[in-house]
Amino acid sequence: MRTPAIAAITVAAALAVTGCGRPAENPSAAPQTAATVAEGPATGELTIWAMGAEGQKLPDLLKDFEAANPGVKVTVTAIPWSAAHDKFTTAITAQKTPDMAMIGTTWMGEFAGLGALDPTPASIDKGAFFPGAWGTTEVGGTSYGIPWYVETRLVYYRTDLAKKAGITTPPSDWDGLKAMAKAMQDKAGTKWGINLQPGGTGSWQTVMPFAWSNGAQLNNGDQWTFDTPQMAEAVKYYQSFFTEGLTNKTPAQGATQEPTFVDGSEPMFISGPWMMSAVEKVGGKGFADKYSVFPMPVKEKSASFVGGSNLGVFKTTKNRDAAWKLVQWLAKPEVQVKWYQMSTDLPSVTSAWQDPALTADTKLATFGKQLETAVAPPSFATWEQVAARFDAEIEKVAKTGADVDASLKSVQAEAQSIGTGG
Amino acid sequence: MLGSKSRFGKWWVYLVVTVALVMVIAPFAWMVLGSFKGEGELRRVPPTWLPESASLDNYTQLFAQLDFGTYFVNSAIVAVVVTAGNLLFCSMLGYALAMLNFPGKRVLLLLVLATLMIPGVVTFVPLFVLVANAGLIDSLPGLFLPFLAAPFGVFLMRQFISGLPPDLLDAGRVDGASELGIFARIILPLCGPALATLGILTFLGSWNNFLWPLVVAQTEKTYTLPVALALYSTGQNNTQYGLLLAGACVVVLPLLIVFLVFQRHFIEGIATTGIK
Amino acid sequence: MSASTIAVPPLMEAAPSPVAPARPGKGRPGEGRAAWILAIPFTLLFLAFTVWPVAQSLFMSFTDTRQKDLRTPFSVNFIGIDNYVRALSDPVFQRAAANTAYFVVVGVPLTLAVALLAAVALDKGITRFRAVFRLGFYTPVITSIVAVAVVWRFILQPDAGLLNTVLSWFGIQGPNWLGDVQWSMPSLILMAIWRNFGTGMIIFLAGLQAVPYSLQEAAAIDGANTWQRFWHITFPLLRPTLLFVSVTTAIGYLQFFEEPFVMTQGGPLNSTISMSMYTYNQFGYGNYGVATAMSYLIFVVIAAVTAIQFRLLREKA
Repeated sequence: MRTPAIAAITVAAALAVTGCGRPAENPSAAPQTAATVAEGPATGELTIWAMGAEGQKLPDLLKDFEAANPGVKVTVTAIPWSAAHDKFTTAITAQKTPDMAMIGTTWMGEFAGLGALDPTPASIDKGAFFPGAWGTTEVGGTSYGIPWYVETRLVYYRTDLAKKAGITTPPSDWDGLKAMAKAMQDKAGTKWGINLQPGGTGSWQTVMPFAWSNGAQLNNGDQWTFDTPQMAEAVKYYQSFFTEGLTNKTPAQGATQEPTFVDGSEPMFISGPWMMSAVEKVGGKGFADKYSVFPMPVKEKSASFVGGSNLGVFKTTKNRDAAWKLVQWLAKPEVQVKWYQMSTDLPSVTSAWQDPALTADTKLATFGKQLETAVAPPSFATWEQVAARFDAEIEKVAKTGADVDASLKSVQAEAQSIGTGG
Repeated sequence: MLGSKSRFGKWWVYLVVTVALVMVIAPFAWMVLGSFKGEGELRRVPPTWLPESASLDNYTQLFAQLDFGTYFVNSAIVAVVVTAGNLLFCSMLGYALAMLNFPGKRVLLLLVLATLMIPGVVTFVPLFVLVANAGLIDSLPGLFLPFLAAPFGVFLMRQFISGLPPDLLDAGRVDGASELGIFARIILPLCGPALATLGILTFLGSWNNFLWPLVVAQTEKTYTLPVALALYSTGQNNTQYGLLLAGACVVVLPLLIVFLVFQRHFIEGIATTGIK
Repeated sequence: MSASTIAVPPLMEAAPSPVAPARPGKGRPGEGRAAWILAIPFTLLFLAFTVWPVAQSLFMSFTDTRQKDLRTPFSVNFIGIDNYVRALSDPVFQRAAANTAYFVVVGVPLTLAVALLAAVALDKGITRFRAVFRLGFYTPVITSIVAVAVVWRFILQPDAGLLNTVLSWFGIQGPNWLGDVQWSMPSLILMAIWRNFGTGMIIFLAGLQAVPYSLQEAAAIDGANTWQRFWHITFPLLRPTLLFVSVTTAIGYLQFFEEPFVMTQGGPLNSTISMSMYTYNQFGYGNYGVATAMSYLIFVVIAAVTAIQFRLLREKA
């Protein structure tokens, strides 16, 4: 009973081993050119996946599209954010993707690398969008989709406590920021000067704005460039907040920034537009007048992180023309404004920001200004893995005062061995 | 009760157990109370206990947005089928492995035990590709078929049945019962507590399963309850705690009911075997 | 496992067995056939949905499969045990292995002890409101991990958290539980015990029901006190159940994932990252070859630990 079974397994294994092998690697593919999109209204059926709140609200917005294009029917499937990435990757693997989808900006490199996405047709004008946001759609020189909505990070601060600390205009440079944090502690009596993430998952979104403002780059072509002087200077600056006692090294796990912002123990923090409603919810009535935002302080320039979501069309789609027509429609300035009003997602199209709906709020206008100089990490498929290493080193730098140059060297070494996922 | 426990002694045990209960159940209680709180209150630190102004807002919002009926039915069908399937198939194989002899028995037992010890994550993607190729994507069979044969259940039933005296088999055979009849009419009724335990655990696992139903469904009409609830509460950058907790309460309610129903069978099982 | 864990109903006990005691082995007509009929449904489903994916993933662990190769599973290079070597020499994986070992060695015995204690207390200690207590002690198992996380974060908060507040009543300054490298694992272990003892408890309860009352009674009449009765009668009969709970708890804890994933994301400074979580991350990065190799390394550890437990807790002849 045993021997035939063992023999069978051995034979099968041998066959499997001899049967596999990679075909000769293609030289890195040249940027692809996209086919054109046919003229006329959209027709047929479309399926689109969208995450979270966007997925719930999109059907309402799309009623206008269906009215303008009778003959087209769009089905929205909302998917939860948690595990959305897994859903996409398994769908791509099994070739069960929809026609188009809302895609997180940091996923573009991975999905394009899997050959899942259709290149953007030339009929879509890239100049209409914020340059940093457009950059998130480009993988290996080709654009795969458009930015749909964006977000960026600014410094939030308590105006009332700043006044107490003797600060009436927000700082515009690095020294000014640190001085403001110190003044908050000394003169306004706050426990900490500013809330900064001490490493850990996603901390690069807070650290990189400083690095980018100092002119540092994450990559040069397809080489990672972590251990540059500009990067080191920025990370040392970031570290100094912790070593000088301006920032909490060991915040409670899972703590969000609103409670300490509202109770004044951490009167400054860096985050995105969604925090406005979060702090106002906790702060209650009238809190909106007690805080404001200012752009990332200038070193060489003022740069921040641009996030948000893109729209992409999958290669497996059977209704390519209609899919890209829908993409174009969603990029129209008036549709972008309407979407903002429905969802509070910030438009990725620059001309949409001229609309009164967006110019009315001064805090919002500051976000708009920052978006002009906001950048994103390169769309390499290996970004997530490299970012995790970076976050781990930042944690050591912030919590244990580790040597910045040595840490960055170690990140660079790891990043090089992980590669850029060509 | 056995032994001469003084009234004082028993009283002391009750006290300890009650204190333990309060400590153990606190998070669950907070979850329930939290579902009636507003978002601002939920984000406060330190967390509050009783709601400042209790309201059903979270629930009304949840039910207004959710196509609750569809998701509940999907979850229920999948969980019931998986539980019933496991109770049946695992007890069948567990009995065969425990009490009968047949060619391939050792191999099968080793295989079952081995797969019990393999981390689930490793088979996730190959399983998905298999299910996709079999055309079961976006269907309820795609949701329950892979889970009808759980090694855990076989292991549990085998352990339990191993403990039954082998004389039962002989007595049955003498009485002229068929092999399958022995299983159905003699062994199975004695497995009350084990079946109840397996039922609870299997139902729990199936009901709370999130990742597989998410990945297998292509359209919202195939979503199960946990998937749908995640839609309404987790955002890209912020979470709506009120909806999340209300959803968690909604999801946990059937589990409580199933637990209460199944555990009654414990007691009935005891009664028929004449213990206590 | 040969001892009786389920009492024979009085009816069967009374009837004398007219034939010779059952002899193991072949020769019984229809036994093999009946066995296969019983085994077929499970076996087919099992082979299709469990064994086949396992075989596929095992194959992947010996190749340099990445995300994009999944559609063409054979167009990959066979690299032997390279992935395994890479995993074993990865310092983060080594740290994860150490963390996992810590978690299991401390967490499993404690969880078993609490579960057994709770089961005995509910079975023999009290007579009223049993269902309430049973349900109450089981709620941690069924409470959503999100609610669990929020409440436990509050409990473990350094400044105003529940635990530190209670400790301060005794003059003890509690540490930053989740943020301190030394205390992060003990915090997660405590949380895991709380979350999982209910499952062990209900299985022990099922096992305890099967201890024959008659034996207990006889021992009591002979003058044995509660502790002696427990240790000499109940405990030995509980052995197979104990083995089962121990093995399944260890298997679960060796793969512990939710607690660090939700509470600490593996931090601070990798003090709570588990092998499963690190493997999950690798799957997320698309490194299928390495990730499957890590999974099978975990499997080897689980198999070894299970074998040890079988040896330790097996019924003495």
